[in-house]
Amino acid sequence: MSVDQVNPNDESKYAASARAFRDNVSRDLANDELRSNFRGAMDYLVDKRKTALSDSDELETLREQCKLIKQRCLVKLPHLLEALEEKLTANGIKVHWAETITEANEIIAEIIESKNGKTVVKGKSMVSEETALNDHLESRDIECLESDMGEYIVQLAKEHPSHIIMPAIHQNKKQVADLFAKNIEGFEHTTDVDALIQQGRNVLRDKFCNADVGVSGVNFAVAETGTLCLVENEGNGRMCTTVPDLHIAITGIEKVVEHLSDVPPLLSLLTRSATGQAISTYFNMISHPRQQDEKDGPGEVHLVLLDNGRSQMYSDDELRQTLQCIRCGACMNHCPVYTRIGGHAYGTVYPGPIGKIVSPHMLGLEATTNLPTASSLCGACGEVCPVKIPIPKLLLRLRQESVKPKGAPQVMKGQGSGRKTSEAFIWSVWSMIHKQPLFYRTSMWFATRLRFLMPKKLGAWTVARSAPKLAPKTLHERIKEREQAAKGK
Amino acid sequence: MTSARNNILSKLKSQVKDADYSKLPAEQGFNYPQQSFSEQLEQFITHLENNHAQIIKLTRAEIGKVITQELAARNITSLLYGDNSQYTQDIEQSDSSITLNKYSFDFAQHKERLFNDTPAGVTGSRCAIAQTGSIVLWPTPDEPRTLSLVPPVHFVIVDAKTLYPSFGDLIEQQQWADKLPTNAVLVSGPSKTADIQQTLAYGAHGPKELIVLLLNS
Repeated sequence: MSVDQVNPNDESKYAASARAFRDNVSRDLANDELRSNFRGAMDYLVDKRKTALSDSDELETLREQCKLIKQRCLVKLPHLLEALEEKLTANGIKVHWAETITEANEIIAEIIESKNGKTVVKGKSMVSEETALNDHLESRDIECLESDMGEYIVQLAKEHPSHIIMPAIHQNKKQVADLFAKNIEGFEHTTDVDALIQQGRNVLRDKFCNADVGVSGVNFAVAETGTLCLVENEGNGRMCTTVPDLHIAITGIEKVVEHLSDVPPLLSLLTRSATGQAISTYFNMISHPRQQDEKDGPGEVHLVLLDNGRSQMYSDDELRQTLQCIRCGACMNHCPVYTRIGGHAYGTVYPGPIGKIVSPHMLGLEATTNLPTASSLCGACGEVCPVKIPIPKLLLRLRQESVKPKGAPQVMKGQGSGRKTSEAFIWSVWSMIHKQPLFYRTSMWFATRLRFLMPKKLGAWTVARSAPKLAPKTLHERIKEREQAAKGK
Repeated sequence: MTSARNNILSKLKSQVKDADYSKLPAEQGFNYPQQSFSEQLEQFITHLENNHAQIIKLTRAEIGKVITQELAARNITSLLYGDNSQYTQDIEQSDSSITLNKYSFDFAQHKERLFNDTPAGVTGSRCAIAQTGSIVLWPTPDEPRTLSLVPPVHFVIVDAKTLYPSFGDLIEQQQWADKLPTNAVLVSGPSKTADIQQTLAYGAHGPKELIVLLLNS
């Protein structure tokens, strides 16, 4: 099957919002409150990371080590996935595979329905955002409640996360208080964060106690031991994976690591890069469903492994590096574009620099063709990435993919969809001129002599800039003149 | 969904047919400076305290007394604890004003009670990690997973003798890769969140308080 032949029903709802990128940006740049929320949050997170990773020798050694760990695990990926499946199955955890988001949602809904599940509590899982699992379960009359505080806020607001680590970072406490007032019965109005969290806690504790199913993500799936590792601070992940009798985990195929000993360095850089913590409050390692004699824990545990564009990333040596990502969010925290436009403007599940390099594979380059261009290529994302993904390089690569001519070898879904005939024509003329010295000099001579013809308005370029002025003479001419003058002395 | 499995695996495999694992570059970890035991212990305590845990140094004989005091200070009169675990008898030395409830029941039958009527729980721990200030819980049928999760106050007994420099050292020396339990958890403080305007709040979903009873003889 070619990558272009995808069932249209599989199109994510995020494709449409990603297409609206430019409008989203205008909308969010005009929102002062939103901009101040993001600015404050990003400054805070940048500072936290800096303090936690103050030893640059340690940081660079760990980054190199973690990059190599992830690259090894990727080279071995198909075998590690098989080993993981075998080990998990031996441990009593059931493994499912899904190529598309529709398949993943279907698998999860069927597992839940087979146990007559009606209520789901969800720990934080970006992959389930990718599949829009909540929408799917609701359409099948299964209540699905987000339990991470940030995700809960976002769900009440009928939004999606604006940051992969701090989903509700775009809202301030006043906005959260107003939201709780509208949605929580008996809410006592306050903008005190402790009091807000306590009221959220009370609602959610009741849900944990009574839910039929817990859904979670996975940070690392260890092939060697058949273990699902979850990183979290709140305890909602532990609740979702411990209290209900059925636990379903969903993750991308790239989350598998070979050895248990691969986990400590990755974990150390993950939490420090993300929030500046030496470690998260909880690091939860699940290897079995409830065993005989045990008094609690889910009787059934399932893992859904999702592709959704990942095997496409895998099929190109350069693009494969995208899969090294451990989802720490440091690239967005340090991105001057993300800080200004915020997470929702991207229209995708994963915003910021990492979003710009994963989303084109998940949604296709046709829907996301503007995303890789929304970068100044300042390089901050690549510098802070704990697994050294060369994000700026990959952005350039995706720009090339989006303007590839028809008939070029198939690399990714939607390649060439950003190609404009007029632009392609201009560049081919440009290229022709630059290849032939005579053409080049003649055209430059004319360009400098006819510079008064340069219009003052140059479309989008001059919306926020003044038009460039051409010099009266070319650089070649001026150097020649200088050399002659020097000789004459 | 075997077709999904086969499609995914065959796509991936076709890309790495010729991979030569022996050519993979050597991976080098960071060599942390060696620390004395007392430095490690200090690091462990500092991390936990920075993460809002309360540390009480005590001897084994004092466990019952200290638990009684701490519960009284919080106006809590009952405590859930594990059956037949390492410290069961020490916990039972607490004052008679405390109602001791053994976790000798099936969780599913007593969910409501555990969520709504169990103010505090106490567990032991398998070991601890200095570098991150983490306590390793290794739940057993005697000390189930929910004992350290659902009650709002969690007492955890940690023996300083079980302190390891780092998570990596621990995994290697205890050979975790050979046998992991149903669930193992590293706990490094009380439950917390900074999801509202980056303001830290404790007691998001798990225990609001983590009281570490540190045995250091």
